[in-house]
Amino acid sequence: MIPSSLAVILATLALGVFALSAFIVAWWRGHFRNLDAQARVIFEPRDLRFARPWETPAQRREREATYGALLPGRRGEWGGAA
Amino acid sequence: MTRVWLLLGGAFAALSFAIVLLVLVPRAMLTRVEAPPWLEPYTASELQGREVYIANGCVYCHSQQVRDPAFTSDVERGWGSRATVPADYVYDRPNLLGTSRTGPDLINVGQRLPDPNWQLIHLYDPRALNAWSIMPGFPFLFEEKAPDAVRPGDRVVVIPGPRAPRGRVVVAKPEALALTNYLLSLKRNGAVPASAMARERMAGPLAGGMNGHDDGARPAP
Amino acid sequence: MTAPRHAPEPQRSRTVPEARRESATVPPVVDQIAGVAQVQTVRGIAEARELAPKDLEIRLQADASSRLPVLVCYSAAAVWLIVGSLFGELASLKLHWPDLLTREGWLTFGRIRTAHLNAVNYGWGSLAMIGTSLWLMPRLVHAELRRPRLAAMGAVLWNIGLLLGVGGILVGVSDGMEWLEMSRWFADPWLVVGGGMIGVALFSTVAARKAEHLYVSVWYIMSAFLWFPMLFILGNWPTWSGVESGAVNWLFAHNVLGFWLTAVSVGVAYYFIPKVLGRPIYSYQLSILGFWTFAFFYALNGMHHLVGGPLPTWMITTSVTASVLMFIPVVATAINLHMTVVGRFGALRYSPTLRFVVLGAMGYTAVSLQGSFTALREVNRITHFTHWTIAHSHVGVYGFVTFIMFGAMYYVVPRLVGHEWPSAALIRWHFGLVVAGIAIYVVALTWAGVAQGLALLDPGLPFQASVERTRYGLMGRSLGGLLMTAGHVVFAWHFWLMLRGRQPAGARPPFHEARPILYTEAAADVVATSRSHAGSAP
Repeated sequence: MIPSSLAVILATLALGVFALSAFIVAWWRGHFRNLDAQARVIFEPRDLRFARPWETPAQRREREATYGALLPGRRGEWGGAA
Repeated sequence: MTRVWLLLGGAFAALSFAIVLLVLVPRAMLTRVEAPPWLEPYTASELQGREVYIANGCVYCHSQQVRDPAFTSDVERGWGSRATVPADYVYDRPNLLGTSRTGPDLINVGQRLPDPNWQLIHLYDPRALNAWSIMPGFPFLFEEKAPDAVRPGDRVVVIPGPRAPRGRVVVAKPEALALTNYLLSLKRNGAVPASAMARERMAGPLAGGMNGHDDGARPAP
Repeated sequence: MTAPRHAPEPQRSRTVPEARRESATVPPVVDQIAGVAQVQTVRGIAEARELAPKDLEIRLQADASSRLPVLVCYSAAAVWLIVGSLFGELASLKLHWPDLLTREGWLTFGRIRTAHLNAVNYGWGSLAMIGTSLWLMPRLVHAELRRPRLAAMGAVLWNIGLLLGVGGILVGVSDGMEWLEMSRWFADPWLVVGGGMIGVALFSTVAARKAEHLYVSVWYIMSAFLWFPMLFILGNWPTWSGVESGAVNWLFAHNVLGFWLTAVSVGVAYYFIPKVLGRPIYSYQLSILGFWTFAFFYALNGMHHLVGGPLPTWMITTSVTASVLMFIPVVATAINLHMTVVGRFGALRYSPTLRFVVLGAMGYTAVSLQGSFTALREVNRITHFTHWTIAHSHVGVYGFVTFIMFGAMYYVVPRLVGHEWPSAALIRWHFGLVVAGIAIYVVALTWAGVAQGLALLDPGLPFQASVERTRYGLMGRSLGGLLMTAGHVVFAWHFWLMLRGRQPAGARPPFHEARPILYTEAAADVVATSRSHAGSAP
């Protein structure tokens, strides 16, 4: 029945236009800049520098290169490993 | 705070869109649905029985809808002579459409099993009639009296077979009788007139079941 | 290497600035948070003195502020988990042992099953999620929880409503629609008011935020706390009737699954997986895409519960289409979380949080892909009305939501009570029992559902065939449920031990997480050494 399809189509278009304009506004206001910083907001710097026992040497080097000198786990942590 | 307002605004819009589309638009269309002339509103006793049905969770094992015969075999199985349409449910508040068929569909059980005695025995103990049934019995809807305690107005239910309680007489409580009345009122095989908002008339270009054609409402045999 | 253990010191309520003004040894902030002072100085942490202590302080304050309401929520959640599991196990037994406990009305299957659904969803699931959100939000926005006592009171009111609602169901008072059975007159208002109080605490915390960015978990959680009250009020509105009430029923029920249970759980997973691993999420862009497609597509899914039903076909088709479109957010989230974990699955050996959260995230992907598949008409004509649907819902509410909540609680509770989980063995038992349980559950019940569906489709077979073919699957489900229930008892017991202050024997934590669990030690060192390094940059 045409009326029901029309309602659906119009509603979808209206919402799509709203969504698109919200996206554009957000873009212009810089919400999509610096996404890396947004991803890191949950960490304190020390978090990222702990050596983890499950990481391979390559992963450990990558961590050191990205975040700085690694902090050792304390004795008793990590099952005595690392 | 713009971020927060953008977020909440967007979230609100997403849900509102769905509510408009799936509740408010159909509501506007469904207000034109009228009950077919053969469909009576529930009597007081049937309504009470419907409350017993709800209170005891019958909807979690029994559905009340017949699906399009082009789609599946509900009609062939004998659960109705046609698919049910919105007009069949105008007096149902709330819906008891159900999502589970641990037990059979019941929308036409009043037509299929019209004997109140059968219904009462089955409610008391389904396995007295069907050994394979996993439906629970509802003995708390009945009283088990000593034979000399039975009074003239009592509705005695004779349980057949070895599962009858020894030395006791089963008497239906008003709840059991009301529930039986409700079940017997479930008949939706009548013809759906053209003026009723039958399902296929609201269907639009995406009508019909899997085969893409539309079978429409069928009149009663 | 054993540490001397000290008796818990009396709690003093002091603000952190006050504590800073005090002199040396163990800062009172430690007492304030944990009530226990452990004196094991750590060379490794001492070497970290060049890092700013203010970050740690923010975190400590955040955790301290949410302690009361979170423990209230978690305690209640654990109780409802046990209660709900017992109801569920009884209901399951009744399906292959139908004469079990039929004499009393309050024990009949139709009421016990309903009590189970409401207890596990509005009790265990909702309260675990609310508790986790109250703990997580201050951490995410770097601000203390505002109005923690209001939130705690809200949780109490919520529980009163639940008691009345579930009790009402058992005595036969039900509003009739699935997921909405608790009485709208004497039970639901308590949840609305209590939930509102919790919402006030949460939203005012966000309003007072100090973090510059809103992490993705904040979007999911805040949206969930907006969506759920909208849905709850809509669904419980007393005027719906006819097929329209069917549409409202399933818009509500499916969106409680999606916009409440899933939304919070996905938000929680987005936090714990990167956090424990020490790696930022793989692609923040993908999480933005994932969230917004989730928001717009999920809401429209509801009518897929009514495929073939007496509703306008265009409504059903809209929902089927939206269900398939859910591939986009689900795959986006799956890629994001998987690529964060990839190469580091060894972490699951060390962290129970990760064990549960990673499995839960996989459960999310599985249940969502299964759901998209099930919504297709060709599949639905076999699976609709069968036990398949129940198996599917348990992959979701249990294998996804519940697992993530277990993982969250394993992380959060030590940070609130100030000491580690006492027993690695109890954790292993819990994990083993519930994983084995849900695996058996899902396999047995899915098989039963398919057998049932195929039998129902064949009009030549009597209805009896569909019942008989499910018998062993239903028994298998009871076995799975038994293992799950046992796992819950283990977990609840362990949680009780935590609340009672039981410490692990020996100084070494019995399992190992990426942060020193006993942050009190870290706090002691870092805050004490911060005085000689005032103003150090992070």
